[in-house]
Amino acid sequence: MPKRVLIVDDAIFMRNMIKDIFSGSGFEVVGEAANGLEAVEKFKELKPDLTTMDIVMPFKSGIEATREIIKQDAKAVIVMCSALGQESLVMEAIEAGASDFIVKPFKSEDVLSVVKKVLGDA
Amino acid sequence: MDLRKYLPLFVSEAGEHLAAYAKDLVQVEKGVAAGADVRPIIDSLFRHAHSVKGMSASMELEGISALAHRAEDLVDVFRKDPSRLDAAAVDDLLAAGDALQAMIQASAGGDKPAADPAVLERLAETARRCRAGEPAAAPAPPPAPAPAAGPQPAPEPQRTAAAEPAAAVSAAPEPAPAAPPTRHRRLQIEVEIAGGCPVPAVRAFLVVKKLAGLGAVVKSSPGVEDLKAGRIPGKRLEVVLDTPEPVPVLERTLAQISDLTSVHVRSADAAAPAPAPAPAKPAPAADAAIEALRTVRVRTEILDEFLDSVGELILATARIRELGKMVPAPHRTGLVEGVDRLHAIVKDLHDKVMTVRMTPLALVTERLPRAGRDVARKVNKQVEVQVQGAEIELDRAILEELSDPLLHLIRNAIDHGIEPPHLRLLAGKPASGRITVQARRERDRVILEVADDGRGLDAAKLRAAAVARGALTDEAASLLSDREALLLACLPGLSTADAVTDVSGRGVGLDAVKRTVESIGGTLEIDSTPGQGARFTLRLPLTVAVQPVLLVRVGEEVLGLPIGKVHGAAQVALSSLDRTQGAPVLPYDGAMVPVHDLSRVLGFPEAAARDERAVVVAEAGEGARIGLAVDTLIGQQEAVLKPLGQPLEKVPGISAVTVLGNGRPVFILDVQRLGVA
Repeated sequence: MPKRVLIVDDAIFMRNMIKDIFSGSGFEVVGEAANGLEAVEKFKELKPDLTTMDIVMPFKSGIEATREIIKQDAKAVIVMCSALGQESLVMEAIEAGASDFIVKPFKSEDVLSVVKKVLGDA
Repeated sequence: MDLRKYLPLFVSEAGEHLAAYAKDLVQVEKGVAAGADVRPIIDSLFRHAHSVKGMSASMELEGISALAHRAEDLVDVFRKDPSRLDAAAVDDLLAAGDALQAMIQASAGGDKPAADPAVLERLAETARRCRAGEPAAAPAPPPAPAPAAGPQPAPEPQRTAAAEPAAAVSAAPEPAPAAPPTRHRRLQIEVEIAGGCPVPAVRAFLVVKKLAGLGAVVKSSPGVEDLKAGRIPGKRLEVVLDTPEPVPVLERTLAQISDLTSVHVRSADAAAPAPAPAPAKPAPAADAAIEALRTVRVRTEILDEFLDSVGELILATARIRELGKMVPAPHRTGLVEGVDRLHAIVKDLHDKVMTVRMTPLALVTERLPRAGRDVARKVNKQVEVQVQGAEIELDRAILEELSDPLLHLIRNAIDHGIEPPHLRLLAGKPASGRITVQARRERDRVILEVADDGRGLDAAKLRAAAVARGALTDEAASLLSDREALLLACLPGLSTADAVTDVSGRGVGLDAVKRTVESIGGTLEIDSTPGQGARFTLRLPLTVAVQPVLLVRVGEEVLGLPIGKVHGAAQVALSSLDRTQGAPVLPYDGAMVPVHDLSRVLGFPEAAARDERAVVVAEAGEGARIGLAVDTLIGQQEAVLKPLGQPLEKVPGISAVTVLGNGRPVFILDVQRLGVA
């Protein structure tokens, strides 16, 4: 069964790009969210195997959302998508319970490698 | 063996252990109240007490060792059963930590301090009481209400026996056998991060966090604070971990992390920390040895002297440049080139010295949660102090100055800001108040915010209080914006608090805070929403040593003004200005600014002054501005400021001195203390 992915990013462009990476590689993108609030809601509803999470987003940051999701489900696998220069935010997200991170701009093979590893499929 | 040569290292290391010990204690107490699993913190607490015991025994400081031993014994009771921990025991442990700290300081001077028998006795009695599960004799303030038992975030692998209810074992005379302790092994994990990884420090941080989920991280090299600051020399990480997990579990966890080129897990020790007989060297010898290879400890005085010398070099270079202008043209080019090169090297050296002097804010914020807890307990309030951004680095000199102001702000917030629990509940707030200390870097400044969710400051009340005290006229008070009015809280002796407590005196604190912050080139701002809290924002320079100053000429003298204090300047004929009460006033930025003749203010000999003058508009404290009439504006210059020694520092109106390229000393004005504001 393909692993189910939730993509969280406030930029449609980024969501599409990440979606393309996953769709062509045996994952099923089951939902998208454009901010932290939506992310928490969608997570509750969809229970994805993996969530990719942007950090800086309106209404609720990716870090806050990660914290709330982990509170609901300590085993949730969340991979942060960060830009260079956001190191301290990524560490905050890790403290909030994020499983791993990828740094923009990313290559599709890097994303897949991180994700597969973190899901224990590598 | 002559132990004296180890003394400075002992004092600094033991001090660090005790700082961490105090921090752990406050965290443990908070964790117990919130129903969290505090075992890892108690383990860490135990290790700190244990380390101090071992180190002091090795230094033949029996008094310190004896007290640390008692503290360790008491912690051990909670290691076996965290539920026995109560506020009174935390008080005793904190008191022991303070006593240890004081003894260690005394030992620095060559003393061999003896432990206070009363403190020893008290720790032993508390250990007996907690072992027996008796409540503390004096009623402790109620613990923070525990949240409804939610799901534990981390799965507990093998929690053998739940803590027995205290009542059932009230008569047990023996140390509670509790559960047989899980056998922990000490493992050393070495990880190398891929060269292509753009953020190796974050990668390493993730590794540390994952390992922390499997046991207690005894040591990480680089440390977490270094990683947070992006430092990971050689992209290598070493972690020492006490864990009940088998090695394959560890390896599997690490295999899930990307960008690791090599992972080595090996046993670091046959057994987890067992109280070993005092070794010949300080206790955690193996770890210390690894760390010692990477870092060098330098006394801070040496860094100060180092910076002083580099400052002299900068001045000397500027002086050579000045003198070079007198060299005949044909020879000048080579000289100028040489001086340029010298200047670049010296500047680079200066930057490096400044980097070495940079110290994480944690140095002064570490004790804040503890201090907050103590104050809150004294005034029967519930407060949690949170610190964010403690990894941000500032020059030591600034950090040292910040220590007291931060404590003042925390005390003030608890004493005057945070309401008692019953009032907070009535206002719809959680019973426990929250104070956050948050630091962030903005270009070449560090912004430090101390915010509380208490009753806030009331601008109207402050205006009224200032008028009542005669500090302001009614009219002047009404002209202040709310934001300006809030700064009235910094007037000496002004307070709207209904009661004076022994925690923070009336208004004295804020006055001192503002003065200190300004003396290091920073500013203080206050925001508040009545009923919702207050926020004190400190904007601080990263370093104090080199500051831009505005040079002005007054008669024969050249003087400097810190640029941070200068609003602007105007060229005017003094006779053309309007006069109020005999003094000229300059219309500036929508307000009338009183103009003073700087030469007269400083008591320089009277000279035939020209009417056409330059007027510098400067900040004179509490939002007031004054104009200082000078002969000419010379210009802006980066200056290495040196503190004034005795007896010059007693002279009001000057705060520092610098030396110009031509070798001439220039005094820096302290506008606020010129006596004209």
